[in-house]
Amino acid sequence: MSFMKFALKNLFAHKTRTILTLGSMVVAVAVLFTLVSFNRGYEKALKTQLQGMGIHMMVVPVGCPYEAASLILKGGKIPNHLPMSVLDDVRKIPEIDIAAPSFMSGIVRPEEGRTDIYVGIDSATLRLKNWWKLEGSFPQNPDEVVIGDNVSLIELSGIGDQIYLPEKDATFNIVGKLGPTGTEDDGFFYIPIETAQRLFDQPDKLTAISIRLKNPDDAPVVTARLATVKGAEVITMGELLGTMMTLMGAAKSLLLSIVMIIIVISALGVLNTVLMSVFERTREIGVMRATGAAQSHIFGLVWLETLLLSLLGGAGGLVLAIAGSRVIENVVKRFLPLAPKGSVVALEPGSFLLVLGFVVGIAVVAGFYPALRAARAKPIEALRSE
Amino acid sequence: MADNQAATTNGKLLDVTDLWRTYRRGSETIHALAGVNLSLRPGEMVSIVGRSGSGKTTLLNQVGCLDKPSRGSLKISGIEVTGLKEQELVRFRRNHIGFIFQLFYLIPTLTVEENIRLPLVFARKKDEQRVTELIERVGLEKARKALPRQLDGGDMQRVAIARALVNRPKFLLADEPTGRLEKNTCAAICRIFHELAADGLGVIIATHDPVLAREADRIVEFSDGRIAREEILKERQ
Repeated sequence: MSFMKFALKNLFAHKTRTILTLGSMVVAVAVLFTLVSFNRGYEKALKTQLQGMGIHMMVVPVGCPYEAASLILKGGKIPNHLPMSVLDDVRKIPEIDIAAPSFMSGIVRPEEGRTDIYVGIDSATLRLKNWWKLEGSFPQNPDEVVIGDNVSLIELSGIGDQIYLPEKDATFNIVGKLGPTGTEDDGFFYIPIETAQRLFDQPDKLTAISIRLKNPDDAPVVTARLATVKGAEVITMGELLGTMMTLMGAAKSLLLSIVMIIIVISALGVLNTVLMSVFERTREIGVMRATGAAQSHIFGLVWLETLLLSLLGGAGGLVLAIAGSRVIENVVKRFLPLAPKGSVVALEPGSFLLVLGFVVGIAVVAGFYPALRAARAKPIEALRSE
Repeated sequence: MADNQAATTNGKLLDVTDLWRTYRRGSETIHALAGVNLSLRPGEMVSIVGRSGSGKTTLLNQVGCLDKPSRGSLKISGIEVTGLKEQELVRFRRNHIGFIFQLFYLIPTLTVEENIRLPLVFARKKDEQRVTELIERVGLEKARKALPRQLDGGDMQRVAIARALVNRPKFLLADEPTGRLEKNTCAAICRIFHELAADGLGVIIATHDPVLAREADRIVEFSDGRIAREEILKERQ
């Protein structure tokens, strides 16, 4: 018989108590691991998505850069617009390779629980997003539309079909379909920019201008020039990432505070369980001392019990977090205003080690006092206890 | 048990001289032991009798190195144990003394054989042969995988005896070993004590049971922490 087996037997002598404590540990570890994994995954996914866009900067209406970020990642309406004249100013800057204007707005369909995003574009977008795999043709006429991959699945439509918008009493002919991009582009309807402006009663207005530079190193020069354009604001992709991460920082601090509380509660739970077990076994500890156990044996045994409890809870928490990561991801994404496409939960060894450190930390801290108390019990007094 | 005899001084396994154990309870001073002198030879069985609070258990705790005396000398196997440090006492207790308690005090989560093996685990020894030998000696072959709650009182005490013997101690300290047992079971436990003494083990039994007390070679009666009377029942060679 090993100390390990002995410790395990002691732990499960009170199954209900141990399982309840394990439950709190499992939840704490699962939350912590998910949060750490999410934090890492989110930043990574966001970077990947922004880099994958092939856009170096955006010109957006003066306002909150958060809205611009939301626009890029999720699509939607923003209250301010750029005048069409800004596009001419932008296109005059020689360092700019492509300046792709867009007008974006949505039609809410509450009965279907979704908003259809219509994006007005011109052929510059096709050059900017040169990774697009377009089946069919780009819209040339006002009543033509190209649909994203997800749209074709939702609408059960393809090239040659028609889409009718009762809200606007407009009919569009589907002339093209995008192959899956793995980005929000899959969920949009692309129509000629003039059509979009007319459809949403915003003639000569733009939502944003996406820019690709001839040389990305020219970003500061171009930014300085664009800063002089009236009514426009420039945001680089680096700034956008920073803004998003700052926005996330506040939510992260709140979540970390909640996790810290969970950690303290679970550590107290472990401490309580082990301490109660020590109290109940005072005489048993006295018997062990009488039969040859040294103080170090008792200390080691109680500490081992705490460690096992924490490790079992930790393992359970990791399994729960991994098994439920997709569910957790979907839930978290639902509450995120800026959720990038793809997985935002990165299950990495670094996160695993961090959580392991947390588990061992709990065992070390929560187990120390009960172990010390048990080890210091005088055999004669322990034997006398009821 | 030649080893036991070799380890003693003047043939004494235990030599207690003017042993005192004093407690303070508020302003009151209590002498749980007041100048006790006692000796034990290998193979000798001594019964300690007396009313509750007379000092029987205190003496067992002193002899078992579970508590330190206030003054006096306590030699076990020729070694003065009163000056030993905690770690030395642990080793000494492990190698020289076996305990048996009235309520058996088995570890409820461990099986019969695991309970018996436990002192070996603490001593970092592996001696499965010894465990099996003791299980056979106390007649628990069929119950070796049983948990304490599945045993009756007599069997639990047999496990406690085997556990006390597993580290091959020099003597056995039994505090009311038959206090919770039926008559027939008491007789069986007595037989085991006699066999152990015959093997050269010193046996000290603190008991209220006059029948068990008279099974010993000598009865020592305690009163107010002192030896009030000593009666030799069997002369030993």
